Amino acid sequence: MNVLLIAGLKERELNMLRDELILQNPLRILAQDNENILPKGGFGVVLARAGVGKTALLVQLALNSLLRGKKVLHISLDDPVNKVNLWYKEVFYHLTKPHDVKTSSELWESMLPHRFIMTFKVEGFSVPKLEERLTDLKEQNIFSPQAVFIDGLPLDQSPKESLLNLKTFAKNQSLHTWFTIQTHRHEKPDPDDMPVQLQNIADLFDVAIQLESEGKEIHLKVLKGGSANSEHAKLLLDPRTMLIT
Amino acid sequence: MQKTTQKVRNIGISAHIDSGKTTLTERILFFTKRIHAIHDVKGKDGIGATMDSMELEKERGITIASAATYCEWLEHEINIIDTPGHVDFTIEVERSLRVLDGAILVLCAVGGVQSQSITVDQQMRRYKIPFVAFVNKCDRSGANPFRITDQIKEKLGHNAVAMQMPIGLEADFKGVADLVTMQAFYFDGNHGEYVRTEDIPDHLVAEAQRRREELIDAASMFSDELTEAILEEQEVSEDMIIAAVRRGTLAREMIPVFMGSAYKNKGIQPLLDAVVNLMPCPSDVQNEAIEIDNGERAVVLSSDPNAPLVALAFKLEDGQYGQLTYLRVYQGSLCKGDTIINVRNRKKIRVGRLARMHADQMEDIETIPAGYIGALFGIECSSGDTFVSPGINLSMTSMFVPEPVISLAIAPKDNKSKNNMSKALGRFSKEDPTFRTYVDDETNETIIEGMGELHLEIYVERMHREYHAEVTTGKPRVAYREAITCRSEFNYTHKKQTGGAGQFGRVAGYMEPVADTDFVFENQIVGGKIPTQFIAACEKGFRNSMAKGPKMEFPVTGIKVVINDGAAHAVDSSEMAFQAAAWGAFRESYQKARPVILEPIMKVAVETPTEFLGAAMGLLNQRRGIIVGSQEEGPHCVVEAKVPLAEMFGFATVLRSATQGKAQFTMEFSNYKKLPQSIAENLQK
Repeated sequence: MNVLLIAGLKERELNMLRDELILQNPLRILAQDNENILPKGGFGVVLARAGVGKTALLVQLALNSLLRGKKVLHISLDDPVNKVNLWYKEVFYHLTKPHDVKTSSELWESMLPHRFIMTFKVEGFSVPKLEERLTDLKEQNIFSPQAVFIDGLPLDQSPKESLLNLKTFAKNQSLHTWFTIQTHRHEKPDPDDMPVQLQNIADLFDVAIQLESEGKEIHLKVLKGGSANSEHAKLLLDPRTMLIT
Repeated sequence: MQKTTQKVRNIGISAHIDSGKTTLTERILFFTKRIHAIHDVKGKDGIGATMDSMELEKERGITIASAATYCEWLEHEINIIDTPGHVDFTIEVERSLRVLDGAILVLCAVGGVQSQSITVDQQMRRYKIPFVAFVNKCDRSGANPFRITDQIKEKLGHNAVAMQMPIGLEADFKGVADLVTMQAFYFDGNHGEYVRTEDIPDHLVAEAQRRREELIDAASMFSDELTEAILEEQEVSEDMIIAAVRRGTLAREMIPVFMGSAYKNKGIQPLLDAVVNLMPCPSDVQNEAIEIDNGERAVVLSSDPNAPLVALAFKLEDGQYGQLTYLRVYQGSLCKGDTIINVRNRKKIRVGRLARMHADQMEDIETIPAGYIGALFGIECSSGDTFVSPGINLSMTSMFVPEPVISLAIAPKDNKSKNNMSKALGRFSKEDPTFRTYVDDETNETIIEGMGELHLEIYVERMHREYHAEVTTGKPRVAYREAITCRSEFNYTHKKQTGGAGQFGRVAGYMEPVADTDFVFENQIVGGKIPTQFIAACEKGFRNSMAKGPKMEFPVTGIKVVINDGAAHAVDSSEMAFQAAAWGAFRESYQKARPVILEPIMKVAVETPTEFLGAAMGLLNQRRGIIVGSQEEGPHCVVEAKVPLAEMFGFATVLRSATQGKAQFTMEFSNYKKLPQSIAENLQK
């Protein structure tokens, strides 16, 4: 009886921390229904110049999904598994720094089975291949993601057709999918304020967030999508921890 | 003995099983006149190859102990070291690889890049060892050295460039054409000892020209001089190409490919030339040691023979004159009569006899300068020990030795074996710090501990073969641990008054879990409630209780004990009494502190062709594994997972059958983690 009670307490502690982390997360104000920033089967994209914090933001989005109990597939085309894992650890560490170390490390352990990292060498990656892998994972009952985060896929170079395929795939599996795009200083945005990379494929994306450094601050600018109240709130990225404040 | 390190090459020969590694080594020794007759691996004379030492190695096709030999070619001294390949021998592998400056990767002209070649390549990548590839068995039917060259590019991701092309293939493989000098080499005489140099046959000239262009093109990446010469359409000299290729090879950005057939004595001499021309000399390689006093900071060693000595013992051999220790000198020189210090145990040693090994005979020498490999007599040390001059405190290897994760009970079958077994165990644990042995007090069984199933299996087998010790083994056991998860108080009185001097002692305080360390004891007693002379006895009592946890008799880790109250009796208190009180207090509070069983979790990496990725992940999943991720690189991919060791027994066989033998896995200890309740209950039964 006693043991059960303590176990229950532990569970509650974990849940409390989880809820708190979710509430704290300023990303909430981007969300439409207080939970999902993206609709089911939707595409989101994070745009920024090199080194501004694309991956950091992506990992925060992923952690946010993990905290909400979603299964997350992280696909990286540049970094090896270990490095991606390190990103998660680092961001999670910063997020939970004010909280009890023991509870947060237990939370971390409980989240691990819900995360899956896949890395591909860029040449090796293609949409059909991803579909094949995902079906593999699902069929064997190993892992069925609810959110997919793809870091480093050169969107502007991938044929629109394959993106459309991916979109259909995501719809069928009702996946939330996030991408990153690296922008460049010399490229002028087009008249709609959309970066060149997005010009032809903008219609595929439901949400586009741009990171821009202004002086010492990094601003989160919602180019497309997001809920109404996001316009009032100003979101900043702390350049030190790369966390949203 | 030549004294310039420029003319020394320390190389290893690595290959997949049956690529002809032993045959190649045998030929190298023959052509360098180290041996005077060739004995083939399974030759009719029944002698067996010189390098084939351990029967077990032959049988399993894996190298267990590193072997060293030495030869001379073109006035260069070549030390050849054979490295073990399997991960269960982590420590042995790391130490052997440290000694090498370069390597020859032998590939079969038919089989190409096989699984073991991939493993070997990864190890060399980890230790940044430059290598040349040798495509062996060009006389076999189905041989195609250029296909192998492509495989090195595709499967291993190296920039492989053919340095030669074969003249004829399969049954009429005659010789090789050198693309640098544009000459053909034929190998005459009974054993191919005479190299006949001729022009390249007419029908091959066009192809040779084309391939030479490719070679020069690739080499020009590493030499401005060569690029200029090409752009200005000047004559490209041989030296220029060699220099550029050497630079590329040393930077590990280019892999020159040579070809031949060791069994048919073809192509060996050019390969030796290549070793001399392309492999690094000790001063080309930067070696680093670890400064122990300074938080294990890396220090770059100079190959200056006058600097303080730093040397690494990498192999021990039991000879007729006692222990023979092979070592490599990294910095300074080791001279007869010097006093040196073994960094591991801080023992001072006087260098008695130095020798240089010539297979089974040896030559006494006065000094071993930096960059050389030599042997030391009559010194007690373990493999991997670092020796330094007095006054400096550097180590070639980190002092960290991984804890063994698996244990096995062994028992000798008869009395004769008993002696031999203890001899063998003493020797093995000296050679390999990850192999440990102890006698269980309760069951009186001898327990051996190691890094994996195979690791222990090999040692049991070696005991049998080398020491004629017949032993029976128990089932492998996982090294579980116990730990507590919350704070709990204790207040325990030990009292025995049965006439005569009694025993009395009371201790009170609490215990709580602590991370990163095994045991912490804190004394917060004020006012002498427990007299100071008994505090140590209390600590000892707690510490002794840790060896066998009350829950399931596994060692307990991560406990902090604080005592803050107690009582003593003027007459009846003794050290014994307080030890017993501590023991009782430990039992009392341990049960309240919600003890759990911890099990070792292994970091497992499965390498598999992509078509078996799903199967491999399925297998890991069945074994309570958490798959961290998968990494795809070209045609093969790696799945990383964390799997409990207890589930990994026999995984090798299962994995092999599920993937047509194409996948392989490596596993290393990661951390301890709480055993799930249901499994802990099973264990209790």
